[in-house]
Amino acid sequence: VSDPADVFAQMLSLVTPERLLHDPRATGEGVSVCVVDSGIERSALEAKHNRTDSPIHPIEGAMFAPDSTEPLPYDGRQSSPHGTTVADIVLSLAPRVRLYSADVFGPRGTCEPEVLVRAIRWAADVWKCKVINLSLGIPEQRLQPPLRRLQLQRVIEECYHNDVLVIAAAHNDHPLTRSYPAVFAPPLLSVDKRLFPDPLQFTYEPRAQIEFSAHGRGYLGPFASEPATSWAAPHLTGIAARILSLRPNLKPFEMKTILYWLSQANRPESP
Amino acid sequence: MSSGETSAETVLIVDDEEPVRKTFREWLEGSGLGCNVLTASDAEAALVQANRHTIDLAILDWNLGAGNDGLQLLEDLAVFNPDIVAIMITGFAHQATPLDAMRMGVRDYFDKNQHLDRAIFLRAVSRQLDRIRPARRERQLHRGLIAFRSAVEKVLPLVRSAAALNDPVPLSDAVRHLFRFLQQTTAAADGVLLVHSYDAERTPAEELRAYSIAGEELPAPPVPFSRSIAGGVVGLQQPSILTEVRASGGTVELQPFEQNRRCLLAAPLNVAPGIRVVIELFDKPGGFGDADRRLAAAAADFGTEMLRQALAERQTHRVLFDAVEAALGAGDAVALALASKPASAEDPPPPTVLDQLKRGLGDNPGSVLEAGATLRLAEAVRVLALRHGSKAVEHCTRLVESVRALLDEASGVEESPS
Repeated sequence: VSDPADVFAQMLSLVTPERLLHDPRATGEGVSVCVVDSGIERSALEAKHNRTDSPIHPIEGAMFAPDSTEPLPYDGRQSSPHGTTVADIVLSLAPRVRLYSADVFGPRGTCEPEVLVRAIRWAADVWKCKVINLSLGIPEQRLQPPLRRLQLQRVIEECYHNDVLVIAAAHNDHPLTRSYPAVFAPPLLSVDKRLFPDPLQFTYEPRAQIEFSAHGRGYLGPFASEPATSWAAPHLTGIAARILSLRPNLKPFEMKTILYWLSQANRPESP
Repeated sequence: MSSGETSAETVLIVDDEEPVRKTFREWLEGSGLGCNVLTASDAEAALVQANRHTIDLAILDWNLGAGNDGLQLLEDLAVFNPDIVAIMITGFAHQATPLDAMRMGVRDYFDKNQHLDRAIFLRAVSRQLDRIRPARRERQLHRGLIAFRSAVEKVLPLVRSAAALNDPVPLSDAVRHLFRFLQQTTAAADGVLLVHSYDAERTPAEELRAYSIAGEELPAPPVPFSRSIAGGVVGLQQPSILTEVRASGGTVELQPFEQNRRCLLAAPLNVAPGIRVVIELFDKPGGFGDADRRLAAAAADFGTEMLRQALAERQTHRVLFDAVEAALGAGDAVALALASKPASAEDPPPPTVLDQLKRGLGDNPGSVLEAGATLRLAEAVRVLALRHGSKAVEHCTRLVESVRALLDEASGVEESPS
């Protein structure tokens, strides 16, 4: 009987960024990704990415509002530039994903937990998204009474059990400031920010319920160059979409394992 | 001065004969009419009482002795309470001057030449009290409304000045000072405070305002918040720096005050749902750094707390203001309803009194007019006096005299001495 450690070592040697992330098929094709954020300025992304050889799929979406149980139509506009920057990062790493915009802020600029829960459930159940990106955070006090927090946690767990990968940004001041749903890890992938020379690089370095760190700079929008967890999360989303385009039925724990192995195989030098 | 009105009406009996006063007092006090009873033997004592109490109904002897005239006393009593009404005791009702008596508020007569017993007396008094009470209640309500409005009108400016109710966020001096402090400490050349608010009940629902460092409101920013730099920074929930201020790839446009800026530090203040405030500082020589970012973060935290408190305070003021406005509206509605109803003091005297007066006028051999026409004229003048005062009556008199002069001239009638 061979040493189990050797088995994992052999498997780990097969999981390399070159094999997975740089595979020509790793474009995000066949993967539906939902950006739950402040809407996406569709024309801006179409104008940017359609100039390349691989034009993007039409972006669909909806707006979710506190006073309407049914989602409102998506008019292709952003409620603020944040969501467009996030979506652009996903498309920059996985240009062939089918992108859905769930605008949970709207003109009010506030995301209520109930609205977030509805949007996540809609993305998973109606749009059949395989990955949901949450570059947003809700502070503890806004999840009171505890039932509100429980509802948010429950929908994250539903996603986990339905093989939907949820990737959530930690607070920019984490761990000084904790925000939800990022700290609901491990059912989701929680992401902090770091700066890497290659945007496909990331690390697994768990601390205070945050597991991964990804590249924290974006490419489009006024504050894209500001390091932020909001930009780190979609980098990991784009990476996950690339891997999923190779093996679409990966479960969240499988994806997390692969990401862990990738990070171990491709440890960046300390910045 | 008169004391304020109490719930019971006050009746003043003025007669120089002590047995009469005593009898009337006993009848009234034993009647159960529930009125306060005062007595006076002469005009001077009556005026002393009127100075102390609000007299609603006066029962006056026409001839008070010592040359005093009951009608003259009534005129003096009306100075204390213009709504006073009177019952005259006289043996010469037909000699009464109907116009003056009615104008002064005489509503009934007790004829000394006819039988006057307790029942007749109390029936007459009761009838007047029944007429007085609704008007009196209305007057009390009117006075209450006036006092209420007066008090509220004093309070309203205080409430309004305490919180600018129409601003989405009350920017107190403290916030302005904090803004200026941040600008000076970071050595930014300039700055703008932006307030974005959303209220689905308002038209338009979205509103964006900008204020200068000095706290003055700038022209409305033309770029929607959703496509602005300020809109971009609120999603990050942290102060952020732009080393190059320019429009960005179809997602962001520059506001006029952002044009030609070299660098920018923006700090979001997450004040309340639907209200977003952003501080933008421009053009620090050498550019903004992490120290500026930390300073802006601290100022933003502090400013957020101040704005939240101001909002909470404003909310309290708004509740108070709304309550006061609703009460004012209700008061106005009541006042309007009262105004649309003729005051009972303007009601004509009872038919028996009118008949009595008509007979007196009809007996006057010098009369050239039909008694009914005279009474109609008298009633019109009385109502005019009640509603608009003596000046209006004087004006009316001048009009009548002008018409008479015109007709005299037209018909060639010599003017007769008055």
